Amino acid sequence: MRKAFHVSMCFMFIFGLLAVFTPAFSADTIKVGIVDSYTGPPTAYTKDVLDGFRLAVDKINAKGGVLGKKIEYTTRDEKFKPDIALAMAKELVMKEKVDILMGTINSGSALNVSNFAKKEKIPFFVTYAKSEKIIGQEGHHYIFNMNENTEMAGRAAAVALSKKPFVKYWICGDDYEYGHAIADAVWKNLQKLNPKVKKIGESWWKLGEADFTPYITQIMGAKPDFIIVATGGSSMVNFQKAAKATGLSQKIPFYQHTATELGTLLSQGKDAPEGVYGTSNYLFYFPDSPANKAFAEEFMKAYKRYPKASALTGYMTAYFIAEGFKKAGKIDNEALIKALEGLKLDSPIGPLSIRACDHQLELPTYFGVTKKDPKYDFLVSGSNQVVSPNDYMPTCEEVLKLRKK
Amino acid sequence: MDFIYAVIPPQVLNQIFVGLSRTTILFIVSSGMSLILGVLRIPNVAHGSLYMIGAFMAFTVSKAFGGGTTGFWMALVLVPVAVAILSLIVERGLFQFLYEREHLMLLLLTFACSLVLGDLVKLIWGAEYKSVPVPHMFQGFVPLFGGIPFPLYNMFLLIVGPVVAIVLWLIVNKTKIGKIARAAAVDREMVGAVGINVSWVFAFVFVIGCLLAGLGGALVAPTVSVTLGMDHTLIMEAFLIVIIGGLGNIWGALLGALIFGLSQSLGILIWSQFGIVFPYLAVIIVLLFRPTGLLKSTW
Repeated sequence: MRKAFHVSMCFMFIFGLLAVFTPAFSADTIKVGIVDSYTGPPTAYTKDVLDGFRLAVDKINAKGGVLGKKIEYTTRDEKFKPDIALAMAKELVMKEKVDILMGTINSGSALNVSNFAKKEKIPFFVTYAKSEKIIGQEGHHYIFNMNENTEMAGRAAAVALSKKPFVKYWICGDDYEYGHAIADAVWKNLQKLNPKVKKIGESWWKLGEADFTPYITQIMGAKPDFIIVATGGSSMVNFQKAAKATGLSQKIPFYQHTATELGTLLSQGKDAPEGVYGTSNYLFYFPDSPANKAFAEEFMKAYKRYPKASALTGYMTAYFIAEGFKKAGKIDNEALIKALEGLKLDSPIGPLSIRACDHQLELPTYFGVTKKDPKYDFLVSGSNQVVSPNDYMPTCEEVLKLRKK
Repeated sequence: MDFIYAVIPPQVLNQIFVGLSRTTILFIVSSGMSLILGVLRIPNVAHGSLYMIGAFMAFTVSKAFGGGTTGFWMALVLVPVAVAILSLIVERGLFQFLYEREHLMLLLLTFACSLVLGDLVKLIWGAEYKSVPVPHMFQGFVPLFGGIPFPLYNMFLLIVGPVVAIVLWLIVNKTKIGKIARAAAVDREMVGAVGINVSWVFAFVFVIGCLLAGLGGALVAPTVSVTLGMDHTLIMEAFLIVIIGGLGNIWGALLGALIFGLSQSLGILIWSQFGIVFPYLAVIIVLLFRPTGLLKSTW
């Protein structure tokens, strides 16, 4: 008798736990499953995607949701591993029955999830991964790329750099896909736009390199006019610190994609080097428009920090999902995809639209240079030059040609 | 000077000095690891985590003292001590019960520790990048050879390296506990048999080793972005250095760090595109000819 009581208590306890830990999705909602890295170094970026998304979803739901349905979301940690990402995406679709998938910062993970989304016919919104394969070689009907990719960043930088008088270039970067992709994209397009440029040398370091001094002293000895530095993550900061310590930033100008972004400059405070060229797709202080100010203030109020570039990605993804369903007039994935193609929405940085042919969000790129600003206790992107999507995005033909038949 | 430049070009001299300054951090961290490996026989994978914690603590201490020069010196003193205390807790609470286990078990345990410590760092400091400012007196650079700028902070590291090496030599060779530790490394049962409490000798060695990891973290903090994952990069290099130097031999660690640092900086000069392979090439060459490491292993 007592044993039976114990057993039943145990069962009740376990079921109680299950009830608590299973996110209770009601039938009358739009379910978004987010797969992203929430442990380890990538968290510095993925947190802003999620917080931007949450900010928008809360606003949409407060106004009554979409077609009378609320948006609900659940997150899964893929731990920066493509195989886990795939397993998580499967679990979200099979068990949680999500309508839409979203994520991730790892390009390998994004490609895995993308492949799965294609099979399951579920729209997948890519929010941070930067491989051009996602929308190019591996692109398909169900994928939407909400941020820039390496090809776009490289082209935008090339457009801006082609107008500068530099001739002798040095190329260096992280020795893995992202580094090579960015460097190749800049260099390939720069050569096309300005045939006079010459490459005088290259250096490649291992991913996560902490000490750049030996690399920098060697490059300085070669005396190039300009350096293209293709690094990502914490190496952005490590390189800038070494550039300042060795005096490189005062002697030879260099470019890094995202050098001017908050994610790179915030932690360095006033000690970051001035005069570093960079490209970014969102700056909370530029353009200095009421819409952008309002978004930055809203984000600041909710999370007590300035929004990074990825916050806009998360925020706009939520709005595109909501407005897409509204335009479609029904909760149906095929209708949503059709509605999203060519959809133009107002954003904090002006109207943004999803290109119909390849489902790429058309984003302006800001080419700027790091400088001090008395308003902030960190460096900001100054002399910002807006490279409009028409001037740098790969054309529909170029992207579709890459796709597998 | 022109005479020297005729023999060795200024570019090469400069890369040698940059390589030497890099050696400092590598030596400090890997000597601590080697010490623990030699005496306690623990392949301490968590050593890198302690280095990372050292860097994060340096951020906190430096900020608490206003982020200036005072903050830097306070960090340099307080951080190794704090890491030492942390390691003492870990050693007394965990490792002391496991010395008799096999190496694989210890390897797994320290690996688990590194994961736990890594998440602890994320809980305490968050995932954002942290940056420790270079103290005012070490900001900037000096033209060294042929006018190529050399960072002042690296100059400071060039002084710290030998100082640490000498202090370590004094502790290991001239103090009683150092001698006991060396004896315990060779034959721990014999040391126990003559009535010495081996357990506390081990604790002492473990703490000194970890203190070095903390010092390495505090020293590296101003030159890099303090972030999660900085432990992984270092632990691999430190292990290689310990292996090519001879397991458990701290002078081997010094030699290994020199080979590693110099082959990297000179490799970049020789063939910048593939500079990445030179230190590993050096490791392979050493292991081909001296599979047990350059100096005598204590194992």
